[in-house]
Amino acid sequence: MTSIIRQGQLSTDTSVRRFDDVRDMLPNVDNPSPMVRLRHVPDLDIELFLKLEWLNPFGSIKDRTAAYLLDGLVRRGLLDGKELVEASSGNTAIALAAMASLAGSRLTATIPDGVPEAKKVMLRMLGAEVWETPDDLCPVDNPRDGAIALARALAASEGGQRYVPTRQYENEDNIAAHYETTGPEIWRQTEGRVRWFVAAYGTTGTVVGAGRYLKEQDPSIRVIGVEPEPGHRLPGMKSFAEASVPAIFDEDAIDVSVVVSDDDAYATTKYMWRREGLMVGPSSGAVVAALRQVEIPKGDVVVAIGADSGVKYTSYFEDILGEEGHPKP
Amino acid sequence: MNPNSTPNTDADTTLDCSGLLCPLPVYKAALVLKRMGSGERLRLVTTDPGALEDIPAMARQRGDLLVSSTADDEKQVFVIEKGSQP
Repeated sequence: MTSIIRQGQLSTDTSVRRFDDVRDMLPNVDNPSPMVRLRHVPDLDIELFLKLEWLNPFGSIKDRTAAYLLDGLVRRGLLDGKELVEASSGNTAIALAAMASLAGSRLTATIPDGVPEAKKVMLRMLGAEVWETPDDLCPVDNPRDGAIALARALAASEGGQRYVPTRQYENEDNIAAHYETTGPEIWRQTEGRVRWFVAAYGTTGTVVGAGRYLKEQDPSIRVIGVEPEPGHRLPGMKSFAEASVPAIFDEDAIDVSVVVSDDDAYATTKYMWRREGLMVGPSSGAVVAALRQVEIPKGDVVVAIGADSGVKYTSYFEDILGEEGHPKP
Repeated sequence: MNPNSTPNTDADTTLDCSGLLCPLPVYKAALVLKRMGSGERLRLVTTDPGALEDIPAMARQRGDLLVSSTADDEKQVFVIEKGSQP
């Protein structure tokens, strides 16, 4: 951080939640994201905590990933006046766009067709250039993910001089973000009593990084990875039946993989809004719903990742609500 | 197009995608064509040999007419006439 603290100025003091720079708000073991007990989810007789990642400065667990990805590029001298390019439709892109602007750079985000308008507008507000991409962009090769193909082409074009890719699916800095922050926070916040850790599969950075750290503290801790069904509508999550397994995935960090249906995930999400007062995004509902499929001893301490809030997903919620909440004629 | 006649390769707009790798020329060409009127012509310059397959396929998929396609060791030049789609 390059801020200049003059005598008499107020500097960052996390104990009173005062920050000299928005990036000082990024979570770490001394400034952890909050975790809150869930007491009303039916059919779960466990001590369940949700980590509220939407209270991070840029709104999701991806703040951690983006900070480490960007820091890694700077440390290795790879940023060097270039622009970032990442195939992300959501939280990683938003955090990268914000932090790139703060670092004097810019993000180009290649995103799949059909991403909610709100996300595109947020990215543009943050100064990013948004390339909306059909999955059948390449008429000849026809890869399944046109956004990833386009990001690779941008990074390789113009002699590689204009763009630098952040490659969240391949970059070990993504794992390090959660090994060095998410995992240690959970260990400290539960006073070492955590028995189970559950997170969704996306890039797999969270579940692998935090899972690896927790297992190093206590090898009997169990790590659950949560996968959606093929053709799902759970933003940020990946079904490995239809998407390739990220290069950073490490199956040794995982004990149980659970597949959750959209119906279960959205029903649990709705329940968490209404009975827990937690305005979570769909992936938070998915990870909590997954726990019903795992035999967990009564009273065990379980920590689930609430990756983001639901504010970006109102178009999805509108679909599941139907006429619910409208006055009946 | 009459195969016995030399096609008129005049263009209304030129897009230079030199240095860009596929699928970038496809993406950029589609953006420009979207803004053009039906019957208007785009001259597209590329340097990635992959464009020799991608651009004709794109024109077919979009319903545009590939008026001409020429290539040498360094570059490819396509003239595409926009179809009647929006």
